[in-house]
Amino acid sequence: MKQNNFRGRLSLLFLFMFPCFLFAQNVITGTVMTAEGTTMPFANVIEKGTSNGVTSDIDGKYSIEVANLPVVLEFSSLGFTTFEKSVARAGATNVVLEADAQALEEVVITGLATSIERTNSANAVASLTAEDIVGTTPPSTLDGALYGKFAGAIVNQNSGAPGGGLSVKLRGATSLQGNTQPLYIIDGVYVDNSSISAGLNAVSGAANGGSASNQDNPTNRIADINPEDIANIEILKGASAAAIYGSRAAAGVVIITTKRGKAGETKFRFSQATGWNEAINLQGTRDYTEERVLNTYGEAALADFIAARNNGTLVDYEDEIFGEKGFISNTNFSMSGGDAKSKFFAGVSHNNENGIVSNTGYEKTSLRLNLDHKPADWVKFNLSSNYIYSSSDRGFFNNDNTGTTIGIALTATRPWDQLFPNADGIYPDHPNNASNPLQTRDLVRNNETVNRFIVGGSMNLDVYKADNSSLEIILRGGLDSYAQKTRVIFPKELQFQKPANGGLNGVSVQGDTQNKNYNLSAFAVHNFTTANDINFRTQAGVTNEFFDRNTVLITASGLVASETNVDQAANTGVNQTRFIQEDSGFFAQEEVNIMDMFIATFGVRGDKSSNNGDANKLNYYPKASLATNLNEFGFWNEDGMWDQFKLRAAYGEAGNFPPSGALFTSYNAFSTDGVLGISLIGIRGDGDLKSERQKELEFGSDLEFFNGRLNFSGTYYIKTVDDLILQSALPPSSGYTSEFVNAGELQNKGIELSLSATPFSNDDFQWDFSVNWFKNKSEITRLDVEPFNIGAFGAGLGTFRIEEGKSATQIVGAYPEGLRVIGDGEPDFQMGFNNVFKYKQFDFSFLWQWKKGGDNINLTNLLTDLNGTSADFDDITLDPDGVIPNGQFRPNAPADVFVQDASYLRLREIGLYYTLPDRYLDGVIGGAVDSVKLGFSGNNLINIFDYNSYDPEVSNFGAGTIFTGVEVTPFPSSKRYMFHVAVNF
Amino acid sequence: MKKHIYKIVLFAAVIGTFVSCEVEEFSDLNNPEVDAFENNLTRGDLQDLVGGLFYSSRVALGTYLDDCGVIGRDYYRFSGSDPRFTNDLLGGGTTMLDNNTFYITNPWAGRYRTVKNANLILGFLDGQDVSAQFSEAEVSATKGLLKTYIAHELLLNLNLTDENGIRTDVADEGNLGAFVSKTQALNDIQAILADAASDLAAGGSDFSFFFPSGFDGFDTPATFLQVTNAIAARVAIYRGDSASALSLLDNSFLELNGDLNTGLYYDFSEAGTDLINPIFISVAGSVPSNARVVHPSFLTDAEADDARVTNKTEPLPNGEITLDNLAGDTVLNLYQSNNDAIPLIRNEELILIYAEASITSNPANAVNALSIVRMAAGLPAYTGPTDAASLTTEMLKQRRYSLYGEGHRWIDVRRYGLLDTLPIDRVDTEGNPDDVWSSFPIPLTENQ
Repeated sequence: MKQNNFRGRLSLLFLFMFPCFLFAQNVITGTVMTAEGTTMPFANVIEKGTSNGVTSDIDGKYSIEVANLPVVLEFSSLGFTTFEKSVARAGATNVVLEADAQALEEVVITGLATSIERTNSANAVASLTAEDIVGTTPPSTLDGALYGKFAGAIVNQNSGAPGGGLSVKLRGATSLQGNTQPLYIIDGVYVDNSSISAGLNAVSGAANGGSASNQDNPTNRIADINPEDIANIEILKGASAAAIYGSRAAAGVVIITTKRGKAGETKFRFSQATGWNEAINLQGTRDYTEERVLNTYGEAALADFIAARNNGTLVDYEDEIFGEKGFISNTNFSMSGGDAKSKFFAGVSHNNENGIVSNTGYEKTSLRLNLDHKPADWVKFNLSSNYIYSSSDRGFFNNDNTGTTIGIALTATRPWDQLFPNADGIYPDHPNNASNPLQTRDLVRNNETVNRFIVGGSMNLDVYKADNSSLEIILRGGLDSYAQKTRVIFPKELQFQKPANGGLNGVSVQGDTQNKNYNLSAFAVHNFTTANDINFRTQAGVTNEFFDRNTVLITASGLVASETNVDQAANTGVNQTRFIQEDSGFFAQEEVNIMDMFIATFGVRGDKSSNNGDANKLNYYPKASLATNLNEFGFWNEDGMWDQFKLRAAYGEAGNFPPSGALFTSYNAFSTDGVLGISLIGIRGDGDLKSERQKELEFGSDLEFFNGRLNFSGTYYIKTVDDLILQSALPPSSGYTSEFVNAGELQNKGIELSLSATPFSNDDFQWDFSVNWFKNKSEITRLDVEPFNIGAFGAGLGTFRIEEGKSATQIVGAYPEGLRVIGDGEPDFQMGFNNVFKYKQFDFSFLWQWKKGGDNINLTNLLTDLNGTSADFDDITLDPDGVIPNGQFRPNAPADVFVQDASYLRLREIGLYYTLPDRYLDGVIGGAVDSVKLGFSGNNLINIFDYNSYDPEVSNFGAGTIFTGVEVTPFPSSKRYMFHVAVNF
Repeated sequence: MKKHIYKIVLFAAVIGTFVSCEVEEFSDLNNPEVDAFENNLTRGDLQDLVGGLFYSSRVALGTYLDDCGVIGRDYYRFSGSDPRFTNDLLGGGTTMLDNNTFYITNPWAGRYRTVKNANLILGFLDGQDVSAQFSEAEVSATKGLLKTYIAHELLLNLNLTDENGIRTDVADEGNLGAFVSKTQALNDIQAILADAASDLAAGGSDFSFFFPSGFDGFDTPATFLQVTNAIAARVAIYRGDSASALSLLDNSFLELNGDLNTGLYYDFSEAGTDLINPIFISVAGSVPSNARVVHPSFLTDAEADDARVTNKTEPLPNGEITLDNLAGDTVLNLYQSNNDAIPLIRNEELILIYAEASITSNPANAVNALSIVRMAAGLPAYTGPTDAASLTTEMLKQRRYSLYGEGHRWIDVRRYGLLDTLPIDRVDTEGNPDDVWSSFPIPLTENQ
């Protein structure tokens, strides 16, 4: 695959150039190019060891006269590795400068169309490279790659079911009712991250008890993105950096750039990872004795227990259900290459992952094609396209009110219950519960299938280019379109579907969602540098975004024979939900860079949206920032230990839309014995509701020593959310239970510290480590309505409570004297600790993540206690008098027994890789193989926590809330073991 | 640079297209908005709006019936997924009734939702000229129906909070009337029903909308008036006003020798937008984690051969089940499917109201009415003493068995100050017995 005719071409070139050589002695000319094939203006060309030098012109051309030949020329440019070239003859010498790998990382986004070197950035923008994302171990889904890797993000897995379901929260609590998840933008395309419910509630009845929230725990759609495709991720954590994204940016923005081709030979890469996952922390069964069985379940159960024990047929049903090892396979193939004009990156990947419960799993196929084309110097096109097919089987878990989910059924299952099917495959009814969990596991289907197409394109026009100024125009468009199908089938032979048991005789729920988002934007960027090296960069542009989602959910019950089509049923119900939003805005920003000593930025975004009460009113979101590089002032000499000493401050505002439907007071349609009727939705809307407005001020310092081998960054921020939208309780006698109001202010204050270092480095051995530490404190600083409870199952069992002057995530419980604060969902701090060791051909890396503090409301314990099945039922650790066993103590105790510390320390990622030495590869396929890498990696292999369930990382109510950490019989989380082989050729 | 000029023009054109973009404003894309009915109310609209009452009056009805049934020791509600039925409602250990938990908040909000649905319709009818769509009689009949609903829904909430009172003036959501005492609330409800009766009397021959099947026999203004009066008779005995009760019964559907089950019913079905019968759990499907277990005293206190015991309950084939230190071997068998209707008021209750109202004024009539109920259950006619106390005891016993599981016993024993006669089933490890609650607290969000 290697080009062998290079020398031939070179000689041709020399032949062609030979006449010039005769007439222009000792003048060396040529073009300086980047690896991407663009010409490089203003590159320095110096005759080594002399002061003789020139710079390349606007087209990258240079011409240098030298006294003697041969000569060594030194080519350099900011952000590129310096390149020395020995030139023996005058004439044309073209060179290509490689981008400095370190410098590449050090560009951060500051405008919708521009980026800035990290050393000049006034914001603490986190960025992750491909190596950070998948280098140690490939994450199951993209958001899983964010754990512990930078300061300021709380990533929480809501369910252990394969196929994701994670929430990402940047810098604490952003909203109580609105969106709390960051905006994801991939190659300029606004990417949808909805979690669309599959309609399990029709059977589980989870929301019937008054918790209107979705407890189905569907996948969030960012899981579709293939982590292997990503070149880098930048995280704008709050409004001070994200103000340029205006009215959707309050929860932060995650900007993802995918891999693109490079000019040069075509490169191929194949990698295969194979492994398995298994449950982290199963609880085990209660230690049953005859006496305990008799006391808890009575005579009949005792006889069953003794018989089963004597027959050796006691079954650990937890292990039976959650004890599977799920097979994992990730296959990736990519190729990239191109020439100076056109470049491509193409990739295909296939992931297949089985869950720790049989009949659960996740399968994904992703195809990507990224093209860049530069037909002329002044114009550049690029296209990113991605097709994804994914399918996940998520089982039937979490809360219910009907005793039907696998988790709830398990709480009522005792080891002597006989639940296995007989020889004819007939499952017995559960003697102690409304459903047989083995039957539910084997027969229920809960599948989500997605076909998704994400395409983005852009055009860059250099309208004007001169020595000290330039004008560039950028047009960009993106489309995210997907169809999601959910298929939930509860066949009629299920215990809880049998009409004799009061069942619905089979339920089939089909959901179909069509989602189409597209966004268009146009920008102009003007650069102007004065004679005394002050740079002005001005940009202005307009943006337009459209969002259109339509979900139809059909629930059919009373299925005919073994049909699952929704028309083959006695009863059907249809529910359609539409969401349409159109946003339009403009954006202008000015950056002033005074000799890299002071870098000031100010800008404003104006947005209007159909989701505001007044759709055509512009809302303005300003930003301003200042960074000073003290090291540029010449206090330190060039060779000193200080490389950088930067002080920075940034302020910005961003918005968060009211939740959908909050603007309207409406009815919902129902029927009574075939008579249609409309009844009020109990939530009163407000047409004048304003968007939430986040105002963030951050300041900090970045320090760098010893040629970049020691870095420190510290940031303090104050993030205030004004016009906080609350679903404030109304007296229910008004006919409404709540209304949407702008009625409060929420403040987050936090500190983010990070340190990275290379303590040791030589040719054979290198050790890099980095540590990040952050904490956030939220407070409701103003509340214009009465304090209210939110986000759990009532004060008797522990609930979140919004109260002025208190933490936004405080947990209270009901006591005889009234409510008492018994916990807080917010962690004291979080910490990530990453180490990378390189020794000769070996790479060894691991990442620890520590979450200290933060409480969960664990109701799994309560349910197992009531059924007498808790693993710790007979332990006596909770009763202060040391008399009553836990299983009897908890149900009668006040809420604080369910509020448990959810701290954890995890070995998030570990990886050990070996790269075969070149000498083994020379002979393989004619030396076509560039490198072969073998390795082992793992995820969550060590988990240390003192939490009384499967995993402190859990959320019964899914992703869209700051009130995570409520647990009701979830899908247990798992650890992964993987083996890898990767070949580059 | 001239060659670039055309590009700049192109760019300017693109910018121009963007900026001229006006953002479209959308109304609620998924649901009808309330404002939409404030003008041009049509006959079809009214059908939909009234249909909403039939729906919302059933929301959380099961919780209401469980509240009354569990506290009144008619039955236990075993639920593996919600412990509060066996803990809070029975007052296990030191547990109190919470003012922000589903057992009070859901039925309370459901009833007031219906009241609001009805009040909005009354507002639509009064706030615009509907003469082109409806005759005066049709408007009057509609108002009579709406007011009857309002009164009945208020009564159910008062049954839960009892001496803690309710709000009766809730027409203006921004300016709610104060909480009123139980006595005042009953008077207000009585007045609303009287108003409803006069509207219905002027309501012509037909309603302008049609009804679900639970209204069979009561779907004209004249026949629905009998229901209004029947509910008013119930309110009258709650007020201790026997004379009014008797005169209201005269104009109700009371038939001493008629079918005991004649009456107005809540319908249920398995249709997707409908509700299923919330009380039905099949006998075979009754397990410790999900069952309505008959309180043992209902079986032991029954007279021999009372057909109501065998008709309304069914022994479990595999014997006793237990949960949370409660046990029982028999479950409710009032309904046979998810589609069975639940009575709102029926003739058997009217006969018993007639008996109760006659105890002092005409004991012979009371004995006669009680005997009718007894004989329908396969028991001999009443032959006991006819003093007021004995007749009251007998009347309460017949109400317990005749109206079993329909949400009456708790209210009946409370009316007669007999809550302390209800059985206490458990004492916890620290010696705290179960409690018999006399009322639910007012929901937290009423800010009382």
